[in-house]
Amino acid sequence: MAREFQRGHKARISDLTAGTDLYVGVQISAPGLTFDISCFGLDADERLSDDRYFVFFNQPKSPEEAIQLLGSQAGDTESFRVTLDKIPQQIQKLSFTATIDGAGQMSQIVPGYIRIVAGGEEVARYSFNGAEFSTERAVMLGDFYLKDVWRFAAVGQGFDGGLDALLRNFGGEVAEEEPAAPQQPQSGAAPGFAPPAQAAAPPVFAPPAPDASVPAPAPAPASQPAQGFTPPPAPAPAPAPAVHAQPTIIAPVNTPPGSPAQPPPPPGYAQPGPPGHAQQPAAPSAPLPPGYAQPHAPQAPQAPAPPPGYGQQPPAAPPGYGQQPPYGQVPGPSGAPGAPSQYGVPQGAPQGGAGVTAALQKFKEAPTGQRWTQQNKKLVRVDLGVGGDQPVLARQGSMVLYQGKVDFSYKGAGFAGRIVGNATGQEMQLMRCSGKGQVFLAEEATMLHPIELQGDAICVSAENVLAFDETLHYEVRRIEGHGIPGGALYTMQFQGTGTIIVKTHGAPVVLPVTPTTFADCNAVVAWSAAAQVVVSSQVRMRRNAYAGDTGESVNLQFRGAPGNFIVVQPYEV
Amino acid sequence: MNQPLAGFAPAPVTARMENHGDHMLKVALQTGNDLLARVGSMVAYEGFVQYEPNPPAVRQIAKDWLTGEGAPLMKCSGDGLLYLADYGANVVVINLDGDGISVNATNLLAFDAHLTWGVERVKGLAKFAGQGLWNTRISGQGWVALTSRGKPIVVDCGGGEDETYVDPDALVAWSPNLKVKGKRSFKAQSLIGRGSGEAYQMAFSGQGLVVVQPSEDSTDRLRVRG
Repeated sequence: MAREFQRGHKARISDLTAGTDLYVGVQISAPGLTFDISCFGLDADERLSDDRYFVFFNQPKSPEEAIQLLGSQAGDTESFRVTLDKIPQQIQKLSFTATIDGAGQMSQIVPGYIRIVAGGEEVARYSFNGAEFSTERAVMLGDFYLKDVWRFAAVGQGFDGGLDALLRNFGGEVAEEEPAAPQQPQSGAAPGFAPPAQAAAPPVFAPPAPDASVPAPAPAPASQPAQGFTPPPAPAPAPAPAVHAQPTIIAPVNTPPGSPAQPPPPPGYAQPGPPGHAQQPAAPSAPLPPGYAQPHAPQAPQAPAPPPGYGQQPPAAPPGYGQQPPYGQVPGPSGAPGAPSQYGVPQGAPQGGAGVTAALQKFKEAPTGQRWTQQNKKLVRVDLGVGGDQPVLARQGSMVLYQGKVDFSYKGAGFAGRIVGNATGQEMQLMRCSGKGQVFLAEEATMLHPIELQGDAICVSAENVLAFDETLHYEVRRIEGHGIPGGALYTMQFQGTGTIIVKTHGAPVVLPVTPTTFADCNAVVAWSAAAQVVVSSQVRMRRNAYAGDTGESVNLQFRGAPGNFIVVQPYEV
Repeated sequence: MNQPLAGFAPAPVTARMENHGDHMLKVALQTGNDLLARVGSMVAYEGFVQYEPNPPAVRQIAKDWLTGEGAPLMKCSGDGLLYLADYGANVVVINLDGDGISVNATNLLAFDAHLTWGVERVKGLAKFAGQGLWNTRISGQGWVALTSRGKPIVVDCGGGEDETYVDPDALVAWSPNLKVKGKRSFKAQSLIGRGSGEAYQMAFSGQGLVVVQPSEDSTDRLRVRG
């Protein structure tokens, strides 16, 4: 489960994931602009004392390959692979930055993010958008920094001057004032960036780095050579202002602001309970009954000391598979119930504390005072009795759980409605939920999208409607066109004030209506009713080429004023 | 070549059971610390792992499960890393730590073999749920993995006034100390061919949690695999 970070939020990486082989993806874009996304490896004084740790397009990896540039992939504009336990000791901070190449300013960017992926799972994401910036030409997106353990901070701080200001901030010197500065390190000497003493001692870096192209966790000894590093000489004396301290001050931080260094974690921080959840801003606040809070309490004193068994391996050292005792040092049947500590979760493991309550904490319902609450992508809660006593109409069988006094009754379409429904296929099997209480609705793990109508209208095909307020009016609309089997297409139009839940198979795409917007009539889910629908059969019909109809036969073209949209699902009914 | 896939490398083992992504379970197996898993749920393994379908111990505990068809569990033993999945269902990992949990049979993916467990039929429900509802009650010190079609939601019953009603098809697991009973919600009028679609629910009362999946598909996908 990805944690959403806000500007200024910080967390220990070990609270996010137990892995140290991380993938960092940055998505940032703006119409007509290109971005240089780079990673600065800084020393304890936040200086770029070794320019080989300035990882960017011209220098795609650091000497021991702890930081590698992977390029654009999986929706990310730029991505890095960071192996935390291979980062040499003198590198105390990795700062991920984006700079605009050429003219432009950060306020133009469209919403983007920096995210951390570990073990195939996105564990953290900090989203930003252009509204947070103004005329800056560079932005520091996020930092990995070493304060006892590696931590991640969502920074989101802009720099007016672009890349050179950024470099100067990090103690590098830009020989010439052009943004061409990044090319410098390639020249090899790179006098501007590093104190010469450091650069003159390359043999120190000599320990052979293991083959880092293997994505599997590197053998444990890999981190050992790092200790052979001599501490870096004092950085260049240029007393750059501690600009980096600012993010902690301006940001709405939970921790007390102050020095650029993270203040020592407050005691609550170290609690092994469910660490990831305790800090989560969106953490459900429903108080647990006292009896339930207990299971993980006794765990507390246990955790700081690494429990034996699996925990014996610090997270930094992946189990040496194929080495001596695989998978934990406790051979033999001592894993019987008598030895619970063997299963102790190492501190900061994703599962947090032990016990059913702690394990399920992240799936708790999210209480809000609103009538419709989306609990997760596939489940929605309606609070009957909030916002008036109107009942809700829902697809039959879509209730998965309810609390309170809720009455379910059959909702007939009426005689005329059934005739129309039968003739057009736009028939909904509905039930009316009335009373007071909370009803959880879901169906076949389809994704749900609450759409709030405020007097406007939307067309949805009947099979994609999950539920809606009874205050909404709906009717069947006919879309005419030649070439449609059966003569016409039908859809439901909803109008009024209220909420409708639309379901889609898979994540849909929402397209703005432009002069050339087409959709397959089987995949289109909904469109704003002001858009005009025209049937087009542009793709040649190849109906009888093979057994079965292989061609894309009927397309719908949409026309409308700007502001209209269509929703298409990746699934053809 | 494998750089684009770098983000999917397994994270180092830190616990007996862990999620790899949302939909896969990673178990670190050791000799003498066996695992019971759904038959057919293994997608990959590394190391020396042996599988024994329908082991005698399971047969005894689950003797009346599924009308004698044999329990859909296999015993996995050995040393290695085992990856389990169930047709892309979300996997929820729980460290019981002395708690207990009652799991719907189709939503159980794997659990430590040394846990105390038993199969029971949900009282009062079998008479209307067509398939009958079997659940497995597990407790002790160890790990359990559940599957859920879609991300589950956990509801606190609160121990209060109101009961919590759950569609049996969407139910995944619940705390064993909850009181369970069946409830018919339809009225006489809706018996005539047109129910609301929600004919019966399970009512939970007491203090505890109920885990519900956002899908009412209760078909046992692994059963066909054998």
